[in-house]
Amino acid sequence: MYESTWMFCLKRILTLPFVLLGVSILTFVFIRFVPVEPAEVILRLARVAPTAEAIQALREELGTDKPFLIQYLLWIKGVLHLDFGTSFVSKLPVAHELFAKLPATIELAVAAFVLILGISMPLGIISALYKHSIIDKVIRLFTVMSVSIPTFWLGFLLLYLFSLKLGIFPTNGKGTLAHLVLPAFALALPTIGLFVQFIRSAIIEELQQHYVQYAQLRGLKNSVILVRHVLRNAVIPLSTLLGMTLGNLLGGAVIVEQVFSWPGLGRYLIESIINRDYPVVQCYVLIIAVIYVLANLCTDVLHRLLDPHLMMKDRRD
Amino acid sequence: MRLTKYLLPFMLVLMFSLLTGCTSNDHKKGETAPKQQTDEKMITIGWPLDVGPLNPHTYLPNQMTAQAMVYESLVEYNDDGTITPKLAESWDISENKTSYVFHLRKDVKYSDGTVFNADNVIRNFNAVLANRDMHSWMGMVNHIKDVVKVDDFTIRLQLDEPYYPVLNELAFVRPFRFLGDNGFPKGDTTQDSIKAPIGTGPWVLTDYKKDEYALFSRNENYWGEKPLVDKIKVKIIPDSESISLAFENEELDLIYGRGIISLDNYTYLKDSGKYKTATSEPLSTRALLFNTQSGPLAELKVRQAIQYAINKEQMVDSITHGTEKVANTLFWDAIPYANIDLAPILYNPKKAQQLLDEAGWTLQKGEKIRSKNGQPLTIDLIYIATDAIQKPMAELMQGELAKIGVQLNLEGADVMVGLQKLMDDQVDINFWRTNGPPTDPHSFANESATPNANGVYEAKLGLPNAKEIDNKIHQLLVGTDEKERVQLYTDILTMFHDQALFYPISYETNSVIYQPYMKDFAPRASEYDIPFAQMDKEK
Repeated sequence: MYESTWMFCLKRILTLPFVLLGVSILTFVFIRFVPVEPAEVILRLARVAPTAEAIQALREELGTDKPFLIQYLLWIKGVLHLDFGTSFVSKLPVAHELFAKLPATIELAVAAFVLILGISMPLGIISALYKHSIIDKVIRLFTVMSVSIPTFWLGFLLLYLFSLKLGIFPTNGKGTLAHLVLPAFALALPTIGLFVQFIRSAIIEELQQHYVQYAQLRGLKNSVILVRHVLRNAVIPLSTLLGMTLGNLLGGAVIVEQVFSWPGLGRYLIESIINRDYPVVQCYVLIIAVIYVLANLCTDVLHRLLDPHLMMKDRRD
Repeated sequence: MRLTKYLLPFMLVLMFSLLTGCTSNDHKKGETAPKQQTDEKMITIGWPLDVGPLNPHTYLPNQMTAQAMVYESLVEYNDDGTITPKLAESWDISENKTSYVFHLRKDVKYSDGTVFNADNVIRNFNAVLANRDMHSWMGMVNHIKDVVKVDDFTIRLQLDEPYYPVLNELAFVRPFRFLGDNGFPKGDTTQDSIKAPIGTGPWVLTDYKKDEYALFSRNENYWGEKPLVDKIKVKIIPDSESISLAFENEELDLIYGRGIISLDNYTYLKDSGKYKTATSEPLSTRALLFNTQSGPLAELKVRQAIQYAINKEQMVDSITHGTEKVANTLFWDAIPYANIDLAPILYNPKKAQQLLDEAGWTLQKGEKIRSKNGQPLTIDLIYIATDAIQKPMAELMQGELAKIGVQLNLEGADVMVGLQKLMDDQVDINFWRTNGPPTDPHSFANESATPNANGVYEAKLGLPNAKEIDNKIHQLLVGTDEKERVQLYTDILTMFHDQALFYPISYETNSVIYQPYMKDFAPRASEYDIPFAQMDKEK
């Protein structure tokens, strides 16, 4: 049984290089579609009127004067040696900078994840158990609202309310738990709505199964039925959502980090796109691709572990 | 269902504990700015970008405002256009204007206690000149022959031919500012990195977290007047709305600079009556640059008609809320050589229509757009899509021009795209701005006469006297006679004005908004010099 799970993982991991190769080519091409080249942008952002000599000197220094294919091969050769290049702007190794900022983004994503589970589980369960009641309607209204509010607007709304009017949280920065609450909540809210809806319908479906009635007839405690049986079954389809959620959280972090001045990857990405800092954008996309693939892999493994049917099916195959 | 009986209370308790758990770390309003354990005074400012590595000899990602806090120049450029001593207490210029001898101050020490002297100045010059291409935008760099030590506190700067704006360029925030010997990396390759930011300026970087904050403390070795407060904290807040919110929440003591927050926010904060505000003298000019290479704008009368058709005063007042002043000439009077008598083009839609008629662009019956030889009078303008001022201005101008039968097509673009398109003759009008002091007007002249990415050279190719303008510009940069230079500048600026190549819109200023407990100070008309040393607060 275990061997089959290991094989499953191995097979998926073996596809990773191909995914990354495709992603790297696409990123490399697309970022170069953005008009105006890095040398000129960098000089102009430095408030320097770029002369032809200065642009050419910088082009040579950055290596953007070489033919496209050569640039790609040089870059990919570096990547294979775990050298992701040097930032055009800071002149520091890209991997060093990105990995220095990754923990802040992961901290934010994990906090948002905890909030998502911590809030959507109880709300989803209450909503399902009190189906069609006032409390269910209130929760459903909340879920519709939460998925409809644009993140940046929500961010400013939270800042206005909790920082400016109530004075509970600081408006920007990182360091204490208080700094984390608002950005994590802004990041989590749209997904909370999604999860609540999902949990609600999964539980309602499970509650109608015969095994619930049977368990009640056997005299099992209601809490035991709910936690051991109903929830466990309801969570299985939810696990497929988790992998996608992690990706969405990393994507959503781009805006949240900007609004709350959170020093993470997303903010760095925005700056790098404006600066045409190709190596940073390329490395960022690779990192996110790896995280996406691994998160999906973990989801699938989790799914298999939670749902023995899948494994049985594999063995039969 | 019985199942629900136990669950609701359980869930409510769980959610309550989760939420209260999050907020248990109580944060008091305005914690960051006013909180001080000792009697130390600290001023906190918000800035959208990280201060960078504080390398005095390089550009991005170094922020000019932070470089100016730590490093100083040989001479200083003042808001009124004059140049006064700084690290050099005096200077002599040779008869033929190719040799500059600087007498350095003898009482200057770097923040690490080391002495500022001729050897160190030359080391800095050499490190900068090792990378001439990168600094070639600065005309002086192309003319420096060598820099030699005369004695321990005297240096001589030798040029290959006269180049009058040497002092202005030396006053600029980079690259000619001075790093202490202990800050130099191996091989003096400061173009790559420095070991430590050691300068002679009033502030020393004492704590730094990239993308979060930079803390500057008073330089106790400072030779000049000591700053009034002990520390300056630069908080990095990338979003302009977030900067306003942090200021309102008293996490910032002030917001300083051009475009740091939106004008709407500035007006909102100002109108609340809770804060003090100030604006500097003008520093740069917002203008439109007309592409004369082809299309209707190759005709002078069309360019003039556009200028007559727009009610500039109303546009500037309503869109900039008084933070910018109406501009009728390309340069503000305090810019050297720019205080000349030029007749302003004032709002006169009738005159605009008359000019178009004269040029043969006439309105056919039933048509709303003028045409000539079957060609409709349509003009393309590119604005920066994210710019809160350019967009409403562009829309307003579109309305004004429609009234005289000109169709203005608007296109929002990325900040870098517009000028590129104008240079490639793909668009007719672009927003444009001057560099501001201390490099105006000579860097403007220099850039206008050579092809480079500021667009003026290409835009003026269609002018009948383009060659003549180029020649005059070359003469003025290498000329040695001051009277002749004044005349040349007058000629050049008059030609640009008469040819209506630019449409000056407004003079941009530095806007400041600060908390009521801060003492008054005057903002400077400088892109990089924030007068932190003059700032003080009551608590």
